[in-house]
Amino acid sequence: MQSMQATLGTPTSSALSRFSTSTQDKSSTAGQTSSTGPQPSRPSIIPPPSKSKGWGTGASGGRMRRIIAEDPEWSLAIVPLLTELCIQHIVENFQNNPILKQLLPEHKQKVLDHLSPDLPLAVTANLIDDESYWRRCCTQRWPVCHVAKHGGSWKRMFFERHLENLLRHFIPSTTDPALILELLPLCRNYVRRLRVDQFLPPMKLPPRPRSGELSESGSEAEVEEPATDHYQLGDLVAGLSHLEELDLVYGVKDCGMNFEWNLFLFTYRDCHSLAATIKACHTLKIFRLTRSKVDDDKARVLIRSLLDHPALEELDLSHNLVGDRGARAAAKLLSHSRLRVLNLANNQVRALGAQSLAHALAHNTNLISLNLRLNCIEDEGGQALAHALQTNRCLTTLHLGGNELSEPTATLLSQVLAVNTTLTSINLSCNHIGLDGGKQLLEGMSDNRTLLEFDLRLSDVAQESEYLIGQALCANREAARQRAPNPSCFLSPITAKGPENPAG
Amino acid sequence: MDCQIDATLKGLKKLAKLLLCGTELVTNIQVAADIREIHRRVEEGEIRRQRLEKLENEVKSSQDKFDEITMKWEEGKRKRIPQDLWDMLNTQQVHCAGLIEDKNKLISELQQELKTKDDQYVKDLKKQSDDICLLLERMEEQVRNVMKTFRQELNSIEKAFEAERRELLTSNKKKWERALQAHNAKELEYLLSRIKKVEDYEKQLNKQRVWDCEEYNTIKIKLEQDVQILEQQLQQMKATYQLNQEKLEYNFQVLKKRDEESVVIKSQQKRKISRLHDILNNLRSKYTRQIRQFEEENQSLTSDYIRLVTQFKELQKAMRHFALLDDKRFREIWLMNEEEAKDLISKAFDVDRIIHTQHLGLPWTAPDFWFLRNVGPISQQQQRSATQILEEVLIQTEEEGMEEATSETESYLDLPKQVSMKTTRKILMLLCDESGFLIESKLLNLLRPLEKSECYLLKLDAIFSALGIESEDDLYKLVNFFLKYRVHHSPSSQERTSPMSALDPGEQTDLERQKEGSLVGGEPEEKEVPPSPTLIHPNDVLKILEAFVMGLRKPRDPPAPVKVVKYVRDTSKDSAYWEALATVLPYATQNLWDALYTALEKYHLVLTQRAKLLIENNSLEKQNTELQMLLQQYLDSKINSELHVPPTQVLRAPTK
Repeated sequence: MQSMQATLGTPTSSALSRFSTSTQDKSSTAGQTSSTGPQPSRPSIIPPPSKSKGWGTGASGGRMRRIIAEDPEWSLAIVPLLTELCIQHIVENFQNNPILKQLLPEHKQKVLDHLSPDLPLAVTANLIDDESYWRRCCTQRWPVCHVAKHGGSWKRMFFERHLENLLRHFIPSTTDPALILELLPLCRNYVRRLRVDQFLPPMKLPPRPRSGELSESGSEAEVEEPATDHYQLGDLVAGLSHLEELDLVYGVKDCGMNFEWNLFLFTYRDCHSLAATIKACHTLKIFRLTRSKVDDDKARVLIRSLLDHPALEELDLSHNLVGDRGARAAAKLLSHSRLRVLNLANNQVRALGAQSLAHALAHNTNLISLNLRLNCIEDEGGQALAHALQTNRCLTTLHLGGNELSEPTATLLSQVLAVNTTLTSINLSCNHIGLDGGKQLLEGMSDNRTLLEFDLRLSDVAQESEYLIGQALCANREAARQRAPNPSCFLSPITAKGPENPAG
Repeated sequence: MDCQIDATLKGLKKLAKLLLCGTELVTNIQVAADIREIHRRVEEGEIRRQRLEKLENEVKSSQDKFDEITMKWEEGKRKRIPQDLWDMLNTQQVHCAGLIEDKNKLISELQQELKTKDDQYVKDLKKQSDDICLLLERMEEQVRNVMKTFRQELNSIEKAFEAERRELLTSNKKKWERALQAHNAKELEYLLSRIKKVEDYEKQLNKQRVWDCEEYNTIKIKLEQDVQILEQQLQQMKATYQLNQEKLEYNFQVLKKRDEESVVIKSQQKRKISRLHDILNNLRSKYTRQIRQFEEENQSLTSDYIRLVTQFKELQKAMRHFALLDDKRFREIWLMNEEEAKDLISKAFDVDRIIHTQHLGLPWTAPDFWFLRNVGPISQQQQRSATQILEEVLIQTEEEGMEEATSETESYLDLPKQVSMKTTRKILMLLCDESGFLIESKLLNLLRPLEKSECYLLKLDAIFSALGIESEDDLYKLVNFFLKYRVHHSPSSQERTSPMSALDPGEQTDLERQKEGSLVGGEPEEKEVPPSPTLIHPNDVLKILEAFVMGLRKPRDPPAPVKVVKYVRDTSKDSAYWEALATVLPYATQNLWDALYTALEKYHLVLTQRAKLLIENNSLEKQNTELQMLLQQYLDSKINSELHVPPTQVLRAPTK
């Protein structure tokens, strides 16, 4: 029997030999039927793996013919290939016995195509790198997936959003913190960004009545501090070795009519633990803490921990309660780090804070973007910033919307516009620039060739000068477009503004 | 194309404007919210300020009221009458109620405000949601608009491109058709010309064919003839081939045989070679062994030789030493003997003189012999000086060369008398100056730092060694040769030399003796002492030297026998001398002496007899006196008197 199979395998080309093999085939089939006896049924055709290796593909044709001779109803289409059956088996038992790395590339792809997205992460996290699988996971879980926001990696997106989801619904003292820490070894290599837009406070069993009528100030809420701590990020962040971006909001989202002040408490202990966390995280590049009632003291604690941070590039403390002292701390941070973007929008920075920021800005060479929207720096602060811009050679974007600025700042800024060649975008909307201020700004604009955006909406500027400024900006844009013949620069203002829109 | 670019640029500008407007429209909402917020903040600040003022006022008034009430409490404590107290309490109650009411009012007011705030919050929420809705709407609208415009723009661009493409297509097609037509026309032309050409060629071909046929036939005939000739040649070649083959086979056989033989020979030769190799190796080894052996032998022999040489040298030294000693001793003995002989001779002369003067009464003249005058060491030295100086000079030349040239005092003794010191010295100096070519350059270099005299000495040494002058004799020969040469070639100087020769007559004799031995110059007449060596011209020195060397070659051999002869003659002279000494007295005198001797002996005999007789006489006289004395004594003695008969009387009597 074995020798016959061997002779079957060897002859290949000549017609004569094939003819002889065909005759041999018949005899061999007869021999096999006699020897194998009662096992011609279809499933039994799947040979044990040791046999299949010996036969290879050359002999399969002969076998097929033989089987057809036996069973006229059988056709090749019905019986799946052995490899497919194996793959199917692997897919079915992947949870218990994950076999992937040993497979051939095409088989691997097949297995990945058939794996269920519901497999436990403990199995799949460190085993599967294939994007298509994680894409299926993501699309199955979330209807809207914006993979570009996660560096184009579906796997990263899956883990980041999964972790964010867990953190969002984490309730201190009721949820088990191990739930998150268990996930840590699985996702530590993939998570680069952590964007948590709500932290739930601990549950209070009795819905307490309002302690007083004047409870809107945060100081009274601090009395009941120990009970309102949020989830401590320390362990988690220390475990994530590639974390680069941290975007946190200590507050509850979509509370609607169930509003309560103590849903939005960023306690001192939270603050200290967060400060220690970000200090220990040396890979952190972007840190955002918005809408979290960060007042001066907390801002100082946080910023002190960020001094001389090796990687930090962006700090966003918008929509908080940062005052002049916090602004001064931020100014100190400017000279003690490589910060490129600073956002203090919608805070309580006044003239003093703006002056200290201006002082730091005057000699800074890293900062590209400064946002002081909706503060109250007034003319004093505005003038100080304008003075600083006369020496600064780095800042490109400045947002001073809603700062009660008026004509004196405008005159100084017009001088800056004539001198400065780095600024590309200035926003002075919602100020009281006045008609004369508008004219002076127009004069400044006439000498400027770099500014691409200049927002003067709702700032009491005469329509004529606003139009003329718009014309000058158009000319600048045209010049910039011709300097850089890449058509994508058209879309850059929109994409740059993109993330700002939802913030407003 | 340009209009296309313009259109696209226009479209792009339009799009940019649209985008800008859209974003402005969208951000307008945010700006509006911002300004609303600012207004709210301002209002809120104002309201808060009012509220705080109000509260402060309230606190003040209520504090006043409270103070009043507490004052009244103090008052009430002092009251004793219950009615008064009651009244007071009532009024207090009223006051308190008023205070509380005030507070309640305030609280309710604030609550009212809070409620309005709540409402406001709800409104704000609504407003916010409205804003967001609006925002979304606008964004969607913008997206829609932008998409629409983009699509339109795309369509227009596509259309433009399409149109352009069509245009291009049509123009290209036209071009193509034109080109095709031109091509067809040309093709036709070509075809016609080609047909013509083909016909021409056919004609030519036919002609050619005919001509070729003829040529072919002629060539064929010729070739056939050639073939026949070649076949004949082939036959011949075959025959020669056969012959050659046989020859070659035979040669091959022979060669085979020879080869075999040569193989045999070769093997033999090989064997022989190997054997010879063995022999050669053996011989080589033997040769090396012998070389080693001979080397060893040579070494031992050289060492022996060296030892023998040293021994010989020592022996020579000893010999010299002994010779000197012998000389000395010989001289001493000589002197002693001579002295003795002289003594004896003088004694003999004395005796002779005495005999002559006293005994014979003849006048005596002292004999005058040369050897008598020469008696003494001087005459002996003169005789021996030649050999002695020779020996000394030999020693000196061996040890340090010619010293006489430098140290005049020392050399004066050694120099023979025949040539004056000065002249020799001058001649030597001249020689030294003129014949510098005989000195080696190395030596000259070495001599430079030395003193002049030493310099001369060493130079002369070198020159003499070059000339072959070994002994003092040679040196003298040289000097004399010089002198003679000068005399020969300058006869004018002879007159001047004659007075000079009178100055040293002693020298001439010695010179004469010297010249007897020398074979160079055979003229004893030329004994003139050179007047001064300056008369010899320096240019002549070389000639003189040449002549001298030519002369010196011949007498090189015979100096040893000359020396021996000299020595023998010396001894004969010695014996003659001694004999002369011995026969200083002639035989006549001896005979005289003998006769005298005999006469004197006879005389002596007589004299001795006489002397004996005299002695006898004397002794008898003596005896007589003694006896007389004894007689006297006896006669004078007392006994005689005492005696009866004195002897004296007797004696007298007898005697009388």
